[in-house]
Amino acid sequence: MKLRAILGYTAAGMTVLVAVLVPFLLMGVFSNGVAALPLHVDEVYSGGPTARAIQMGAYSINIHRPVTPHFLQSEKPFVQLDWTPVSTLPPHVSDVVDVDGDGQPDLRVSFDVPQDAKAPLRVDVEPLNPHYLPMRNVGKEGFSRLIARVDNSILVRVPLAHP
Amino acid sequence: MATNACTPHFTPASPRGLLRSLLLTLPMAIWSVLMGFHPGTSTDPKALLAAAVTAIFMTVLFFMMMRTGTTYRWRRYFFVTLGVLFPIGFIYNMVLARGTMGIPMEEMIAGRTPFCFLAIPLLIVPAALTRTIVFPGSITASGHAIGVMVGLWLAMTLVLGKGWCAYACFFGGIEEGMAAVPKRAKIRKLDPRWRYGPWAVLLAMVLLSLALFEPAYCTWLCPFKAVTEYVTARNAIGLMQNAIFIVLFAGLVIVLPLLTKKRTQCSFFCPFGAFQSIFNKISIFEIKIDRTRCHSCSVCQNACPNLSLSKESIARGEALMSCMKCGACVDACPRQAAVWHIKGTTINWKPERARLMFLYAAWAMAIMFGGSIIASGLFTIIHFL
Repeated sequence: MKLRAILGYTAAGMTVLVAVLVPFLLMGVFSNGVAALPLHVDEVYSGGPTARAIQMGAYSINIHRPVTPHFLQSEKPFVQLDWTPVSTLPPHVSDVVDVDGDGQPDLRVSFDVPQDAKAPLRVDVEPLNPHYLPMRNVGKEGFSRLIARVDNSILVRVPLAHP
Repeated sequence: MATNACTPHFTPASPRGLLRSLLLTLPMAIWSVLMGFHPGTSTDPKALLAAAVTAIFMTVLFFMMMRTGTTYRWRRYFFVTLGVLFPIGFIYNMVLARGTMGIPMEEMIAGRTPFCFLAIPLLIVPAALTRTIVFPGSITASGHAIGVMVGLWLAMTLVLGKGWCAYACFFGGIEEGMAAVPKRAKIRKLDPRWRYGPWAVLLAMVLLSLALFEPAYCTWLCPFKAVTEYVTARNAIGLMQNAIFIVLFAGLVIVLPLLTKKRTQCSFFCPFGAFQSIFNKISIFEIKIDRTRCHSCSVCQNACPNLSLSKESIARGEALMSCMKCGACVDACPRQAAVWHIKGTTINWKPERARLMFLYAAWAMAIMFGGSIIASGLFTIIHFL
C-alpha cells in the first residue's frame, strides 16, 4: 500500500512537471512527432500531388495525379489542373491540354481571368477524350467539379468518366 | 453505508491565511507573466494590455482558490470568460482574414482550415486504415495546423485527462455560463440514460467519418459551428447543415442549460467528451467519495454539471469516468466526503495536497492555452473600444 502511495505521488509530481514542460518542450516534441507520421491530407481536399507541368509561354499548367474518392464519398473521381502564376495569364484562357501525357489532346479548357481576385470564376471544359466529363459554365459545384483561385493559381478540377 | 458525522478526519474546509495563499499563488503569478509576455509576444500596446489583464485575472482566480479552499466557482469564472472570448477573438480573426465566418472552398483546398480538437477522434480510424487525414487543413503549415493542435492536445491530455473539458475546452464555457444564470433548475429529473448519449454520438460519428471520409461531426452536428466557422452553404444541403448547427446550439448550449443548470451539450452529446473520458483512466488525479463521511444526501450529484455522479457510483465511492474534475462536488459536499485524490494513496490522506498538485498542473495548462485565447479575445475588444 505504501509503495502504491509512493508511486502515486511520484506520478502526480511527474504530471506537474509535464505541465511545466508542455509549452517549452513537450508540445513541440508531440507536434513534430505527429507531423512525422506517414500521413497526408485527403486528396479530395488537397488535389493530390503534381504529376507534371506543361509550359505555356508565360505561364504553366500543373497537372495533378487523378484523385479517386474513397468508399461512400459523394465526390466523383477528378483530375486537377493549375494555371499558374495568375499574374501572367491572359484575360481569357482557352487551352488544349494533354492531361495523360500520351501526346493526344484530352481537354479544351476555357475561362476568363478577371482583374478582381475575388470575382467569381466560371469554366467550360470540352472533353476531347471520353475519359473526361464536360463542364459548362461551372463555378464551385463540389470538390470534384470546380474552378477556384487559390493563392497565385487558378485550379480547375475536371471529373473523370471512369476512375 | 457509513453515517458517522464525527470521524477523526472531519475538518471543514477553512480559508487559508493571506500570506500562505500569496505564497502558494506566487508560482502561478510567475507562470502567468511568463506565458503572457514570452519572447515573440506582440509589442502592440493593446496586445500587451490584454496580456497583462489576462495574467492578473488568472493569478487572482488562483489566489482565490488558494484563499478560500474552493475550486469550482473560480474555475467557472475563467471557463465562462474563455467560452465568451474565444468566439470573439476567433470570429474577428476569421473576418479579418477572409471577410466571412464561412470557410470558402479555396481555403479548404489550400489547407488553411483551422484545426479543431473536436475532430481528433473522427480522424483516428481513417488515418490508421488509409494514412489519410480527412480534414481540409494542413499537417504542419501554421499555428492552427493539425500536427500542432494534436501535439498540444496530447500533451495537455497527459496532464488533465478528462479535465480538458473543465480547464481547456474553449466551447464548454458558453453553456456553463448559461447553466449559471438561473437560481434553480426548471427540469430537475434527467434520465440517467442520457449519459450514454456522447458515446452513441461518438460511435456513430467515427463510423460515419470512416464511411463518408469526412469529419462527419464537424460537417453535420457540431453546435459550435454556429459561433465559429462553418462551410459556406453552396446548396440546399449546406443550408440544412447550417440550420442544424444553429438549432443544436440554441437547444443544447443555450436553452437546456438554462432549464437544467447542467452542461447539457457536454453531458448528452459531445463525442469528444466521451473520447476524452477514456483518458481519465490514465490520469493520476481523480475525485473520490469518502464513504465514512458520506450521508448519501445527493448534494454532490445535484451539483455535478456533467452527470458524472450517480447513486451507484457514490455507493462505490467514486465519480464516473466522465468526471471532468471541475470540483463542483467537492465544494458542494457539506461533509467534505467528496475529495480530490491521487491514485494509489488512501482516500482520506491529505486531499488538499492532491487538490493543490492537480490545480498547479491544470491551472498551468489553463494559463498557457486558455490564457492566450482570453488575451486574444480581450485584444479584439480593446481594439474595437
